[in-house]
Amino acid sequence: MASKQADLLITNARLFCPASQLDGLGWLAVAEGRIAGLGSGQPDKGLKAGRLVDGGGKLLLPGLVDMRVQASDPGAEHLESLEALLRAAAAGGVTSLATLPATLPVIDNSAMIDSISLRASRLGGPRLFCLGALTQGLEGQRMAELGMMAKAGARGFASHLTSVADSQLMRRILTYAAMLERPVIHHCADPALSAEGEMHEGETATRLGLIGIPAAAETIILERDLALVRLTGATYHAGHVSTAGSVAALRRAKQEGLKVTADTAPPWFLLNEMAVPGFDTAFRLDPPLRSEADRLAVIDGLADGTIDAIASDHRAINPDHKKQPFGMASPGAAGIETLLPLSLALVSGGAVSLERVVQCLTAGPAAILGLEIGQLALGKPADMILLDSETGWVIRSADFITPSLSTPFEGQPVQGRVLASWVGGAQIFAMENWQ
Amino acid sequence: MTKTGSTPTAATLSDRHLLGIQGLAVAEITALLERASYFADHPRQSFADILSGRTIVNLFFENSTRTRVSFEIAAKRLGAATLNIAVSGSSVKKGETLIDTATTLNAMHPDILVIRHFASGAPLLLSQHIQAAVINAGDGRHEHPTQALLDALTIQRELGRIAGLKVAICGDVANSRVARSNLWLLGALGADLRFVSPATLTPPGLADMGVPVYHNLEDGISGCDIVMMLRLQTERMEGQETPSQHEYHKLFGLNQQSLNRAAPHALIMHPGPMNRGVEIDSAIADDHEKSLIQRQVEMGVAVRMACLEALAEGLA
Repeated sequence: MASKQADLLITNARLFCPASQLDGLGWLAVAEGRIAGLGSGQPDKGLKAGRLVDGGGKLLLPGLVDMRVQASDPGAEHLESLEALLRAAAAGGVTSLATLPATLPVIDNSAMIDSISLRASRLGGPRLFCLGALTQGLEGQRMAELGMMAKAGARGFASHLTSVADSQLMRRILTYAAMLERPVIHHCADPALSAEGEMHEGETATRLGLIGIPAAAETIILERDLALVRLTGATYHAGHVSTAGSVAALRRAKQEGLKVTADTAPPWFLLNEMAVPGFDTAFRLDPPLRSEADRLAVIDGLADGTIDAIASDHRAINPDHKKQPFGMASPGAAGIETLLPLSLALVSGGAVSLERVVQCLTAGPAAILGLEIGQLALGKPADMILLDSETGWVIRSADFITPSLSTPFEGQPVQGRVLASWVGGAQIFAMENWQ
Repeated sequence: MTKTGSTPTAATLSDRHLLGIQGLAVAEITALLERASYFADHPRQSFADILSGRTIVNLFFENSTRTRVSFEIAAKRLGAATLNIAVSGSSVKKGETLIDTATTLNAMHPDILVIRHFASGAPLLLSQHIQAAVINAGDGRHEHPTQALLDALTIQRELGRIAGLKVAICGDVANSRVARSNLWLLGALGADLRFVSPATLTPPGLADMGVPVYHNLEDGISGCDIVMMLRLQTERMEGQETPSQHEYHKLFGLNQQSLNRAAPHALIMHPGPMNRGVEIDSAIADDHEKSLIQRQVEMGVAVRMACLEALAEGLA
């Protein structure tokens, strides 16, 4: 360190960062919000720090980048205010989040991005990035002001839970977004094939008398989009991928060299359609929980790099809209506080390496959003979390910070507790009784 | 089957609700059928002491005449006070949730709640929020257990058995809770089942359940003892399943010519209400030699008496 004076010094932590190929006991120093030094063993005795943290041998990871979060504020702040969302994120180890455009009003203009970004910066806590709407009002009819939103800081453009059906419009959006060097993030579900759908199509749906959504509803739109990416050279991202067909299509597209990425979320790699009998609306999700073969294919996609990111797909749902018969319930679930331990279940299950999981939670999504975060490296923003990866706990929605309590993982035993989170070296969360 | 031997006693169920055939043990089904048969044999006898002092609410979120009346008569024959609530959209439109409705009703302490709802799983949801015993009188495309029980009772009383009979369930299987409940019930009792339906009205995965599926009516009902026609559920259809009712009638409607392919003694069933001239020709529906349709309605009351009684056994 040049100055020999750090604002924060963390010692005796297991520095773990796939992007920097880092794994070992060491120390990390922060100055002016950035990583000013790091190394193995103990720091130079001459290094002074404003605050000293003993990592206790725990994992020090880059802060999580959750690229798929639906804020309820503005429009439904009674379900979850921006402040509650950011506090929940911090507790979940999420130091940066990208919010989807389906607020009320919709984030389809630069003023909305200015407003939400400003409010988030005043609240402090995790970094918040906006994803602008692909189309005005998310109605799928006319392109939104993508250029103005890009200037205002939109890191990409996204649809709501409806695909852009008009192929010509989609082609133009891809072309225009490519000019702006921003990814187009799409929810892939053929509108007609999924319109009345309540769960994954198949024998289970038939037994339950629920209307099925075939896996093809997702792959039809994805394959069309991939053809349009080939045509336009655009950068494209498939959101919450849930089917084997999609994983295969993405794998081919990447081999072909298309600029294509994808994310998925814990429900689609930990659960399958067999959770639905019982009609518990916590399992009403969009896309629906798929077959076991789909789930395994999603895990393969995460393991081999076909899927680049794990997101929470966090969404506050009005509890009254969950206390309904299954098909009438609103799809979606909270997830930002459980993203990390549920993702770590892939590691303890032996399916995916810790390197891949952390990559998918940090540098993977950061690269998609064009952000310089997600990495423990000299000069990078000091966004980090200290993780106790050993301690087991049980997911209880009653303990959530967010007031949005619907989770398909109620009662699920998990491992991994965030002890503390920092953004730009400033501590934004510490677990009770930690230091 | 009960004309000789001892009088069957009230059936007992392990669950305090009757939400579907899935979840019933064969012994429970058999006990319900035996008791129902006894009720059917004694249409003039008073059983008013069985549910005397009990209150039964019929909560119908879908229009129904026959099922609601059948439950009402069954309840009255058992001596219960009944109340019919038709929620044809009024409360639903006002935004009241099913659970609100349940909570409201719960405060009035009914003993048994009979529910029909357009959403699969709605009776289960209701049962989780109400003290009363819940009977599913049809939920979405999921189950219609008393219909399957009355179908089984009708068949058993006409032909003396169910095991080994060749039964064809024909028509709009995809949208039919009757087809599903009968699949579980007649299957459990050993019937040799098959489905006949246009490919667009065949639910995915049906063939994987080990039941043959035919797309040709005459082939499907060939040699069958029972031909059960389902109602074309136009209200549940999205308008793209078949080209026209005209074509449906030509290809999948039961007429004398197609019926000739069934066993010579074949009997016709239909859960009603019928679309005459669509899935079934009037001449066949009204053929008293062959049609069991009126018997099904008659058995409906007896079956519902047995079900109400069985649930009352579990009441505090």
